[in-house]
Amino acid sequence: MEQSGTGALLQGAVQDLSSDVASALRGGGHAPVTGGPEDGITVAAVRVLGADLLLPHLLARTPPPPDTLDTLRQTVSAFPPRTDAAPTVVWSHWAMRRTLRHFEQPPDSTPAAEEGPEPDGAWLDGASWQYLTHQLAVLAPLAVPGADCAVARAARSRPVDVARGFVRAVRRRDWQQAAGAGRWLTLLDGVPDTLGLDGGLDFVELMGGSDPRVALQVAAARAMRRAGALV
Amino acid sequence: MTDTRLLHTVGVRALDWLWAHRDGFRLEPDVDPEVGFLERFKPVGELALICGVLFREGVAGSQQAELARRLVDHTWRDTLDGGRALVRGQRIEPLSPIPFEVYRPYRELGYSEPEVERATALYHRLTSWSALELHPTRRLGLSAFERRYGLTPRPPEADIVGNTWLGRTPEPWTVGGHIAYDITHAVFHLTDWGERPEGLPPRIADYLATWLPVWIDDWLDLERWDLLGELLVVDACLPRPTLDERAWQAFAAAQQPDGAMPAVRTMPEGEPEEVFDLVYHPTLVAAFASVLATSRALSEMAHVTS
Repeated sequence: MEQSGTGALLQGAVQDLSSDVASALRGGGHAPVTGGPEDGITVAAVRVLGADLLLPHLLARTPPPPDTLDTLRQTVSAFPPRTDAAPTVVWSHWAMRRTLRHFEQPPDSTPAAEEGPEPDGAWLDGASWQYLTHQLAVLAPLAVPGADCAVARAARSRPVDVARGFVRAVRRRDWQQAAGAGRWLTLLDGVPDTLGLDGGLDFVELMGGSDPRVALQVAAARAMRRAGALV
Repeated sequence: MTDTRLLHTVGVRALDWLWAHRDGFRLEPDVDPEVGFLERFKPVGELALICGVLFREGVAGSQQAELARRLVDHTWRDTLDGGRALVRGQRIEPLSPIPFEVYRPYRELGYSEPEVERATALYHRLTSWSALELHPTRRLGLSAFERRYGLTPRPPEADIVGNTWLGRTPEPWTVGGHIAYDITHAVFHLTDWGERPEGLPPRIADYLATWLPVWIDDWLDLERWDLLGELLVVDACLPRPTLDERAWQAFAAAQQPDGAMPAVRTMPEGEPEEVFDLVYHPTLVAAFASVLATSRALSEMAHVTS
């Protein structure tokens, strides 16, 4: 009972945070993202969102409120990946550290939290297009303009495969995967025109947008498309 | 790439089943003409078409080719009453393209019925025939059949392609079961049932090469064998077929020991005639896919070794 109660609380917190971030992205990144009380649930929810907590600020180039930054900092230190963690867990953690560093680094500020060396990207070498897309969608927070890493390079080298994965996810009504893949596609060159990505993102939002996590990814894709930036 | 023996075996077994169940190809001579005497022609015409592909590709073993020959002969003589049933069909519903569509593959295999030809020549002259409000993919097929038969296609195929779903290369994530069948049939018609892969305009061939793997993956996981089989035919019609190993292995595994291919998931149950009506099509498709894929695999080997 207690566990499922906590699970529901966490799920609610993730949804609330996702809604906040999505609405900030739609508003051009000016609305503050609420940090909420620094309890375990919030920190755990931020872990699920990962680096996307600060995405509106990253895209709009605005400084995040200190308490939001602090929540991300707490999350990073509360959940260090175990040595046997899955690559997506390791990379997600790395993405949070990279984002923290981005905001902590400015010219006149003090010590940067080191994001550490880039994790190994070899697990995506030779991956089937189905698996590649699934993993990329889980790591959607890495899909940000102008940020290079092994995962982004893997995505960039296989635009047709990611597009196939998007189609597969839509066909299977896996809206979250579709939205994450769609977000990557907005950053890639060489996506086949026949994919119809704009309509596809609208369709994903129409069908799955009531889930705030889907709405967040669609909003991110649109915000990056507006920015017209490439990885 | 899939083992050629596996590709080939699917077709051998499918043909065994079709021969053993040849009585399932039957018309209903006593049906009320208003209900549709022509309804049961479709399986017969499809059988002749697929057997024609089998003879053309020349990759069947002698036993398989002999069974196909006997099947065509049986359905012409018994089911179609030596072509008289087609004449009757044309009299019941003069402007229906169905008797012509069934007749065309038999004629290519050397059968003839002069009365069907007289009527066809007349109908083809009529504006009404070319004005029939057919689904664009069906219209494309009818024009292709006219060309093959030696008639001027009206309208010309080039004028119809752009009206088909595939001809407009739309968003691939909108494809569902019905659209998928429109795609496969457009490819059959554009390539003359796999005879001329070059009949696919490059734009459409590129589109299919990009998105077909997704559709194959999808309908494979849904275990929709009838549609999967047609998609495997489409693959074999492309400039560079993938002969997808995972799909072919699952397709072969879905086939029953007696050669029947279920349409969806597992074999249906019921009276023999009901089961035939549900299973003949996927089994024919299995034979078709097998012949084309085997032929393409052998050509690939020839390229590699030469």
